[in-house]
Amino acid sequence: MRLDAQQVNEIAQESRLLLTEQELDGAVRYINNFLDMLDRFKELDLKDVEPFSFAEALECPLRDDKVIPFTDTEAILHESGHVDGSYFKVPRIIEE
Amino acid sequence: MELYELNLRDAIAGLRDKKFSASELFDSCKARIDSCEGKIHAFITRTDSTPQPCANPSGLLAGIPTVLKDNLCTRGIRTTAASKILGEWRPPYDATAWKSLKEAGAILMGKVNMDEFAMGNTCGNSAFGPTHNPNDISRVPGGSSGGSAAAVSAGYVPFSLGSDTGGSIRQPASFCGVYGLKPTYGMVSRYGLISYGSSLDQIGPFARTVEDLQVIMSVISGHDPMDSSSFRDRPHDFSRKDDFSLKGKRVALVKEFQDFTLDAPIAEAMAKTRKILEDEGAIITEISLPVVARYAVACYYALAMSEAHTNLERYDGVRLGYTVKDAPGIKEMFERVRSYGFGSEVKARIIAGTCLTEPTRCEEYYVAATKVRTLIAQEFTRAFGETEFILQPVTPSLPGKIGEPEEDAMKGYETDLYTLPVNLAGLPGLSFFTGYAGSLPVGLQLIGPRWSDSDLLNTGIILERHLGTPKIANGGEC
Amino acid sequence: MPELTFTPVIGIEIHIRLKSDSKLFCSCSTNTDAPANTNICPVCMGLPGTLPHLNHRVVEQGMLAGFALNCGIRPKSLFFRKSYFYPDLPKGHQVSQCDLPITTSGYIEVHDSDGNLKKIRVHHLHLEEDVGSLHHSGSDGRLEGAATSYVDYNRSGTPLAEIVSEPDVASSAEAVEYVMTLRRRVIYSGASDVELEKGMMRFDANVSMKCSDGRWGKKVEVKNMNSFKALERAIEYEIKRQRKIMLQGGEVMQETRHWNDAKGVTSPSRVKESYRKFIVEPDLPPLYISQEWIDRVAARMPEMPDVKANRYVADWGIPREVAEVLTDDKNLAAYFEGCVEVGANPVRAAHWVRTEVLRVLNETGKKIGEFTVRPEVLAGLVARVDDGKLSTTQGKEVFDHMCASGSGIEESIKALGITEGGVAGNALTEIIASVIAANPDVLEEIRSGKDKKGKKLKFLQGLVMKETKGQAKPQEVAEAIAEAVK
Repeated sequence: MRLDAQQVNEIAQESRLLLTEQELDGAVRYINNFLDMLDRFKELDLKDVEPFSFAEALECPLRDDKVIPFTDTEAILHESGHVDGSYFKVPRIIEE
Repeated sequence: MELYELNLRDAIAGLRDKKFSASELFDSCKARIDSCEGKIHAFITRTDSTPQPCANPSGLLAGIPTVLKDNLCTRGIRTTAASKILGEWRPPYDATAWKSLKEAGAILMGKVNMDEFAMGNTCGNSAFGPTHNPNDISRVPGGSSGGSAAAVSAGYVPFSLGSDTGGSIRQPASFCGVYGLKPTYGMVSRYGLISYGSSLDQIGPFARTVEDLQVIMSVISGHDPMDSSSFRDRPHDFSRKDDFSLKGKRVALVKEFQDFTLDAPIAEAMAKTRKILEDEGAIITEISLPVVARYAVACYYALAMSEAHTNLERYDGVRLGYTVKDAPGIKEMFERVRSYGFGSEVKARIIAGTCLTEPTRCEEYYVAATKVRTLIAQEFTRAFGETEFILQPVTPSLPGKIGEPEEDAMKGYETDLYTLPVNLAGLPGLSFFTGYAGSLPVGLQLIGPRWSDSDLLNTGIILERHLGTPKIANGGEC
Repeated sequence: MPELTFTPVIGIEIHIRLKSDSKLFCSCSTNTDAPANTNICPVCMGLPGTLPHLNHRVVEQGMLAGFALNCGIRPKSLFFRKSYFYPDLPKGHQVSQCDLPITTSGYIEVHDSDGNLKKIRVHHLHLEEDVGSLHHSGSDGRLEGAATSYVDYNRSGTPLAEIVSEPDVASSAEAVEYVMTLRRRVIYSGASDVELEKGMMRFDANVSMKCSDGRWGKKVEVKNMNSFKALERAIEYEIKRQRKIMLQGGEVMQETRHWNDAKGVTSPSRVKESYRKFIVEPDLPPLYISQEWIDRVAARMPEMPDVKANRYVADWGIPREVAEVLTDDKNLAAYFEGCVEVGANPVRAAHWVRTEVLRVLNETGKKIGEFTVRPEVLAGLVARVDDGKLSTTQGKEVFDHMCASGSGIEESIKALGITEGGVAGNALTEIIASVIAANPDVLEEIRSGKDKKGKKLKFLQGLVMKETKGQAKPQEVAEAIAEAVK
């Protein structure tokens, strides 16, 4: 096993996930099996291979610097359970 | 014949010729849904209590009922991605693909079930419970776009939209006995599609005839400035080509896949289809895809999870969806929201994605996978120098029973080997109906080079002519 | 045992808000002063399914800012996702060019402690999106005491340039000069107004210490400095802190520390930094910048302040100190050059702008852009003083009147009751005669040759100038008195 329960739990916390013991067991098995599967990459010589991009060389399209206000900001705010006045109110932030 | 049984083309023609009205068609579809939904459970949210207004009474799809996979954003209509974490979220905007359908006059009957955030291939991994295969309700409809496939298969609507990240259109289409197209990456705007693996995701249609897919593609394809990965100046002609012929065209089988075991009906379908293609003058050849065969599954899941975990970072309870109010601190709030809101499969994939992109492992896994993807794409490019199409199964087996204990997850992932290479290389793939094995439909897949979507569909029309058009499924005996 | 010496090794990261009307990836306004959460849309709120769309102008602003730092432009750059969880970060990751930035390396010149020029190398500049802003409701105003925090996403998605220096900075003074020079150059380039009071420039510093005994302290990242003063104080504090630890034989820990401006201290950051590698932003294809585009934007680059100052000195003979003051502010330099353009003597005009214009701006708290006396008007006034039509004192009176009233030269002269040409001729002769008549003892001293240093003559001149209310030319008065006392 590459990763033990504690390591997997740390990764989970980094992802802001608290796992039940059962979930953690499953995740440990899952991750280790998965990493085993990815071991296959080691058979390949990838030194001179470029990371993937589409052959047609898609270029990042650019838009004009023009302001088009979104008219339904109310609908955005309406979806939050944390709106207080015109702000989103969240539990205290320990530090900026 | 009931109106709900009409395929898209006939429904369009019937409405145009005033053989029936849009409200009669709506009523027929609604009645069909009412009688079957208790057993099939395709919907997450129904919007058919009264007909939604038609945005364009003279549009191509004026008055045609449809459903959307619930990861497509619909303005003011709950959109869940089959996850608890989105709660009752009503997007303040429409996905571009839906907007195009709406502007062509389509009527939304509802939002349909899927595996949570499109992660799964059974449609059982949904916060809203499983959808049942309309051909045999004890079986899965496939996934992740299981609701979209089931709705078309059961005759709820003549067509629907789903999304395909590693087979999520083609596999349920095959399981439910309908046609499904995973278009070339960049062909259909992804704006408003709730992302899973952004560089792999593509929206596509389900229908009961290949020609109907052409109609839908003509509406939803094209460049969208809101999606920077959608291509400009690409062919979007999806009209039916009656002079299209397979004479002299090469159709390849993948050498490395020949050793894999297939369920007997799938192997028979391969042989039958091969014969039809030969009869139509196509040349059956063999290509070799060794990198695809050995590395595609690992490469796909490494990339999909790396992208997915970042796509899912936004669900923190602050701006939308499920939340908690009494957390003592922000970290606790995020943890509580995410731990409750995400299902186990999603959590496992988030952790895996986070793990692969950790600085100590990033080069070894994530970056390596982006390079393996290059090799896979190059392998396909070479292959399409030797053939026009590739014919292969969608899955090695027919749909399983709902609730069957899941085997080892990695073994489950291996069954996606036939579908996910297509997403890695950004290719189009057509899942087509070949016939029935008992009550269960058997589908196969035809793959072409990038931007060959139209040719794939025209080939599909020829195959449909020989193999027959699927019936509306009545497994629920509704 | 020789006394230990310590050399600070400092690198600085700067975030500058680039100037644009709309945000980096969506068409919302960049006006962050608007009522909270009004300049937001599905994209900058990171709503599910939304995708980024890059702003053309921001790319050019990044190029201009890069040129201002002597950087090259990369033909291909990429955007990445930089992950961390925070309520002001809507997507849970920041989209940033951190790993393949738009520019290559560059440099900024500063003066070292010996007054020599040295280069602070700029590692790169990259584009990224800003986060929302947090407001805290602690009754005592302290973040730690706040019970709740409020998020405003107006700033979310506004465009930033992050500028990362090499660890070439050796003191807080160099740090301040580096950021001030950099700011000035970026403003000149037009990439940003860098309004400090609006928080358009924020600093982080990496500080470590090298000891003469060969020890090398670990790098400490100090965050949360929002002014030049805060940067200076934070660096000084950190140098002292680390020096003390090393003097006591301790080891400086590698960590992130938070600058508390009110307390004037750094303290360990409680937010655990996740040093995550970045994944490529799959929603944005690579940004390709052609040489042709680079050339087109480079052609828009204005003269940089140091080049301008050198030109003032070399071409116009303006004292270096004055030239540096004039070029400190792009708009002030433009104002001055406006005066010269319509024919003002450069040295005289420089002097007027340096002393009078800056004095009035200082007194009124206005910016040069809001200054009502147009360059051509000032040039006219300078010319009249030079021609002797107005005395210097009169000129200043007219200037002040114009500043205060907004009226033109002629009007002001009239309003002040000044006779152009001043008190001269018979009027002056009469005044001189009456002054001399009133001071016979002084006249006597001068005539007896006791006034060797000319002090008494000056005294008489002063009285005459006072009588003329400054409306006579000093030179003329001096000559006329010299004649009268003979």
